[in-house]
Amino acid sequence: MQPPLIEAEPPRSRVAVPPVDLKWHERLGVLNISLLLFIVAVICSAGVLRGSGRDLNYLANIRGFFANFFPPDFTVTGQTLIGLCETFQIAVMATAFAIIASVPIAIAGAQTLSPRWLVLISRFLMNAIRTVPSLIWALLAVAIVGPNPLAGVIGLTFYSVGYLGKFFSDAFESVDIEVARALRAAGARTIQAFQYGLWPHAKPLVWSYSLWMLEYNIRSAAIVGIVGAGGVGLQLHTYQEYYQWNKFATVLLFMFLLVSALDLLGERVRNQIVRKAVSTKTL
Amino acid sequence: MQSNSTQVQPNPAAPPVPHLSIRNLGLKRNDRWLFRNLNWEVPRGSVIAVVGPSGVGKSSLLNCLAGLAEPTEGELTFSCNAGCLHKATDYQKRVGIVFQNLLLSQNSTVLRNVLCGRLSRYPWWQTLFHFPRADKQAAALLLADLGLAAHLHRRAGETSGGEQQRAAVARALFQEPELLLADEPVSNLDAYLCGRILGILRHEAHQNRRTVFCVLHDPALLERFADYALSLDPMNPDKWRIREIHAASAD
Repeated sequence: MQPPLIEAEPPRSRVAVPPVDLKWHERLGVLNISLLLFIVAVICSAGVLRGSGRDLNYLANIRGFFANFFPPDFTVTGQTLIGLCETFQIAVMATAFAIIASVPIAIAGAQTLSPRWLVLISRFLMNAIRTVPSLIWALLAVAIVGPNPLAGVIGLTFYSVGYLGKFFSDAFESVDIEVARALRAAGARTIQAFQYGLWPHAKPLVWSYSLWMLEYNIRSAAIVGIVGAGGVGLQLHTYQEYYQWNKFATVLLFMFLLVSALDLLGERVRNQIVRKAVSTKTL
Repeated sequence: MQSNSTQVQPNPAAPPVPHLSIRNLGLKRNDRWLFRNLNWEVPRGSVIAVVGPSGVGKSSLLNCLAGLAEPTEGELTFSCNAGCLHKATDYQKRVGIVFQNLLLSQNSTVLRNVLCGRLSRYPWWQTLFHFPRADKQAAALLLADLGLAAHLHRRAGETSGGEQQRAAVARALFQEPELLLADEPVSNLDAYLCGRILGILRHEAHQNRRTVFCVLHDPALLERFADYALSLDPMNPDKWRIREIHAASAD
């Protein structure tokens, strides 16, 4: 038997249609309101661009300052490399500890995974940690464990947890939890649902943020040396105190090389990760 | 699939115990009844096609059966293979679901997704690193049977819609559930694979006595596949209809 044919039918033009333009107040979502507030804030903040008010020759100042850097004094290369190595070690250890500590805090802080009260506590904790600059954390650590690289590790770990906790929370929240819910419905325990339903999606983001944190920590580790927490920072501080800007320049140069190398590496890894992570949902 | 129906052999003398009894089931959404006063004693091992136009509440009915949505009124009683009676929420573990939007983990391999069907059998620390070898073998066999042998180790997100759909069916089958709820499991498949999947579902129902609810749209497939057709009416929530198609093959 031949199935009945679907009759050809033109689209109808006499259908009731809702208005296609929204009213102005209907467009005001949280996003647009916050954007407007930001623009207002920019206008109100223009005052800080005024400077000291004195008549300074900015260009001559810049030229004079940077002239001190050249030529860099490469006689300090050896001790700079040793210092940088320690800086790198401090950053690696701090990042590792921070990753481990951040995962549970981030889970507690993810709105999709935890009850509201726990989210608020966790967010409050992370905000409090981030409020204190890394230099102050290092100062605190130096006061407790003395002026050595361990102080740097402790200081940077605290600071990094504040950041990574927030980033990881966002990563967990960005994953659709329907998959994990489906596994729960099939009888999986919460940990299993997290591991198999949520973690595969969060992992690339978590690792990408961790690499960024490592790079950031190398720069921070150089700074915290200034308060005695190990690494190349002590050298920087000394050269600055004695106006040895050409030696200072050498240290900066090597730091620049290290950070650039890490950035390149991180970029390659991130590209790969991001491509994998979003390949399913691209435009 | 191995059979887990050893305890419950059909006894011709005793009256058949319904797998699922639906009493006065009703579900309201947005102040509108989707279905109401639904009554049915569903025989174990039958294949039920749920039909009706889009938005009529087919998926919502399946969600109620799965214990994922609370019905507005009425009750569901499940009898498990061991003979105990259960409410929908504590029967969940024995229900396998093929979701309409599949809900596979896109970043995990097809094999791993299928293995997830058996998470409930092991404590979390046993599945922390890997699944038992026997499970992997069985999952690979099932996937190969569904034509996915070449895709075992590809991420689900990299496979086509039809391949993902088969992987989702495989995950639900791998769970070896007593009740299988499939929401349009063949919508992305060609005629051949459609027949294969529905054939496997029929086999699971009749051989391993798993009751299968399946949302279907194709009326031709319906006649060939289902023992019963449960149709919902968008205009009259009370006017649901149950039609026997091949009821003789169920019990």
